[in-house]
Amino acid sequence: MELTRRKVLQLGLGLLAGGGAGMALGGCKLLQLGLNIKGYWPGMLEGHWLRGHTQLPAPSVERKVGVAILGGGAAGLFAAWKLVRGGRKDVLLVDGPEFGGNCAAGALGGLAHPRGAHYLPLPSLESRHVRELLADMGVIERDAFTAKPYFDERVLVHAPEERLWVDGRWQEGLMPRTGMDADELKQQQRFLDFVAGLRDKTGSDGRRVFAIPLVLSSTDPQWRALDQLSFAQWLKREGYTAPGLLWYLDYACRDDYGAGSAQTSAWAGLHYFASRGGHAANAEEGAILTWPDGINPLVRHLASVLAPAQRMGGMAVKATEVGKVVHVDVLDVVSRKVTRLVAEQVICAMPLHVAAHVVSGLRDFGYDPAQHALPHAAWQVSNFLIDRFPDEPKDHPLAWDNVVYGSNSLGFVNSTHQLIRQYKPAHSVFTAYHAFANEDPRAVRARLEHASADDLYDVAAQDLHAVYGWRWRQAVQQVEITVRGHAMSTPAPGFLGNAGLAALRALDGRIRFAHADLSGLSVFEEASWWGNQAAEALL
Amino acid sequence: MRDRLLILSVFIVASCGLAYELIAGALASYLLGDSVLQFSSIIGTYLFAMGLGSHCSKYVKEERALGTFIDVELLVGLIGGLSALFLFLVFAWANAPFRTVLYALVLICGALVGMEIPLVMRVLNQRKTAFADIVSRVLTFDYMGALAVSLLFPLVLAPKLGLARTALLFGLLNVGVALWTARVFRHELKNPLHFYLRGGIVLMLLAGSFVAAERLTAWSEKAIYGDEIIHAQTSPYQRLVLTKWQDDLRLYINGNLQFSSRDEYRYHEALVHPVLEKTPWAKRVLVLGGGDGLAMREILRYPQIEHITLVDLDPAMTTLFSTSAPLVALNKGALKDKRAHVVNEDAGQWLEKNNGVFDAIIIDFPDPSNFALGKLYSVPMFRLVNRHLAQNGLMVVQSTSPMHAPRSYWSINKTLEEAGFVTTPYHAYVPSFGEWGFIIGAKQAGYTPPTAYRLPMKFLDTESTRQMFFFPPDMQKIEVEANRLNNQSLVHYFEQDWSRVLR
Repeated sequence: MELTRRKVLQLGLGLLAGGGAGMALGGCKLLQLGLNIKGYWPGMLEGHWLRGHTQLPAPSVERKVGVAILGGGAAGLFAAWKLVRGGRKDVLLVDGPEFGGNCAAGALGGLAHPRGAHYLPLPSLESRHVRELLADMGVIERDAFTAKPYFDERVLVHAPEERLWVDGRWQEGLMPRTGMDADELKQQQRFLDFVAGLRDKTGSDGRRVFAIPLVLSSTDPQWRALDQLSFAQWLKREGYTAPGLLWYLDYACRDDYGAGSAQTSAWAGLHYFASRGGHAANAEEGAILTWPDGINPLVRHLASVLAPAQRMGGMAVKATEVGKVVHVDVLDVVSRKVTRLVAEQVICAMPLHVAAHVVSGLRDFGYDPAQHALPHAAWQVSNFLIDRFPDEPKDHPLAWDNVVYGSNSLGFVNSTHQLIRQYKPAHSVFTAYHAFANEDPRAVRARLEHASADDLYDVAAQDLHAVYGWRWRQAVQQVEITVRGHAMSTPAPGFLGNAGLAALRALDGRIRFAHADLSGLSVFEEASWWGNQAAEALL
Repeated sequence: MRDRLLILSVFIVASCGLAYELIAGALASYLLGDSVLQFSSIIGTYLFAMGLGSHCSKYVKEERALGTFIDVELLVGLIGGLSALFLFLVFAWANAPFRTVLYALVLICGALVGMEIPLVMRVLNQRKTAFADIVSRVLTFDYMGALAVSLLFPLVLAPKLGLARTALLFGLLNVGVALWTARVFRHELKNPLHFYLRGGIVLMLLAGSFVAAERLTAWSEKAIYGDEIIHAQTSPYQRLVLTKWQDDLRLYINGNLQFSSRDEYRYHEALVHPVLEKTPWAKRVLVLGGGDGLAMREILRYPQIEHITLVDLDPAMTTLFSTSAPLVALNKGALKDKRAHVVNEDAGQWLEKNNGVFDAIIIDFPDPSNFALGKLYSVPMFRLVNRHLAQNGLMVVQSTSPMHAPRSYWSINKTLEEAGFVTTPYHAYVPSFGEWGFIIGAKQAGYTPPTAYRLPMKFLDTESTRQMFFFPPDMQKIEVEANRLNNQSLVHYFEQDWSRVLR
């Protein structure tokens, strides 16, 4: 290769600036050289095994139970907690493939980190069940059911809460303001004023238009009509064209629903902004609750009331109503042994696409998976153990949540943000979130199923590399990437009128369902609401 | 004769080249620490840059080789000569871009030095000297020069002249070579006068800097600290600078004054004794912050106190104050006392991990000037402290100035109240700081200020104590928010309060 002087200089400077060949050769691949990257696909093998209808061994043990709860995610655990608190002892929770589900956590280098959700918004007045839990945990210290409860400040997100990387600089808050023109800012304000007005709006039936839990929202057809449009269509109709605002709203949809604004119902898009009416006596509007390991402490607290005999490993593979009982076959994945539970009542707290393979006669309940299943978003939760913090500008120090404007990823959260320390700790975990939105979820899943940990790294680290460049690699010691192919249902247009979901919500027999899928959107308040509903019916 | 001169210049040029490399390496290890890494990366970069320089030399046209050599010499002299001084100034004025400037200089110097030898060889080649002879002679002298400097630098030059003036000395040598070459080869140069002129200017600049170097470095430090620096150190957590002017010893952390030995007794008597005079039963005392050992010195004066735990984040700070002679004299060896137990840990972490209970707790944290430090003045932090305080014990917090930062001061008071303390605010005049504030916290009401002291005091007596607890009309309590971790109003108050006072 003939090198000109300019080329030599460019190459030389590139090498120096890159501290290695990484940037000079223009890719991330080399930056991960020698990095310890682990991939983790919770529930995938189990799920695909179920789908394959593999022949089951005959049950070797039989066990009688009062209430069998199938699934150890937020809904199942909330139901169990509520039942045990309510005095029921004959409860058995079958963990399923992953304890905690979207509230799961892991640890890197001794530091706890989330493998799913990282925060819980301040509970709205309607979310009494969540307030009950938080008061029980001591997170709400007093006035739990008033407009402004007093929270434990260690859990209220500490300042600075969030910042946005716009054109190579940080700004406060996630709505892009830096370098935006007057029309853009005007449209942003118009939108914010509009959703602020929606928060207290009630429909013709006297209920709040956008409530959380979602089923408590008004059924006023005037507002429900929004569900016929996508959020993007609605924004266009209302004359919102500003690129900064549209990016922010798309980001919000991806962050909460795993789908872009074009795939999200307009009703759901507005619900995100208008339903979170929670306040705190000792925090600003819109504050959130967070722990180093995300919201895992919520499910740990729920599980803490269960005696060892009230929990069971393995996963439910078959649930069939037989006369006055329900037979539930539980497979121990390791020993391949099947236990048959003979239950008086069953709370099926698993995702509906899994329930379709487990619960016999789901169609007879009025739910036809082929017709009623909502699309599922795939997510990737990537945890980076770091042994030094990258340099940050003085005026915009590292925030809890750090997002990149224009990125199709969701930014990253610092797990040690809530520690009360004079100086940054020696180690921390940064959690980068990515929802595979705006592409066909099936194609994404087919790709993710066979992806190597290295393939996942490029997606995982994109925002971190955008912000910190090659210096990021120097700080990283270990990476763990959790892939969730079916992370959540997405509230696509028309989801409110889904007859199959309505039928499952109304079930009042020996089998009940409890899962965020019943709402059509995956947040802790919804999942726990259905757990709470199922438990209350059995108390 | 002329060729010999060129060979001699190779010797000098090689010496200078190695000298800049050594100076940059030494400077980086002095200022940044980790000498193996610094030396290795500097030498690597320098050699690489020399390679770039050698490569670039081929683009110099044959007839211009001699002139370019002289120009390169002048540039090396100027840039290399001023490099150390310039880096000192950059480090004193701005901590952040130091590394960038350092490596940029190393690259430029290296590239220029890399051009020298190829150019000399070509000039010699033009004189029809046998090639084998050129290579052998040039490289012999090149390596001899390197040996000379590598011995001279650590043994004589660095200790006698310091880094800044050593670099300038080599810069002068480079310029000398340039001027001498220009003079000897004046007939082969188109415009020898131009070279003399340029050389003269650079020579004067370097000579002037050589004379002023001492004063310039002192000035750059004085510009920041006002006085002569007797110790400067950058720990992983902070930059510690100790200055001295006559009998006034001052400590600055990250450029902020921590104490002046002339009036620190006022601050530390006021911080410690209103609590300890009223807790005569105290046996166990906890100090958070205060790695200078000065509060500890006051506490140790009470013979009944058996155990003092001091938690300060930075081992550099506590080591400095238990080893440096003038500082040990100032804190009377407090940190080495057998009743003193020094723990280097983040206070929040230490409080979470341990569960000892103390009769008195003295908190001397840095001011809440950023979000991390603001967390030390929060409800959860004070509650944590509360758990370590005996039922009838007392706690005191340095709380910024009720005069200059009233909103910060009263915000800390409100935060303490919300954390369950019954508070008693007070203040004292410390000339170096102005009117400074403290707040006593107790688990129950009923604290009254001392009216007399069992121990002899320099500042405190009945009347000065009475005034400390009296808030005149210009320092009245104002209504502000408690410091909430969710928005850290204290950090905003602190920033706004001081931006009004400081010009």
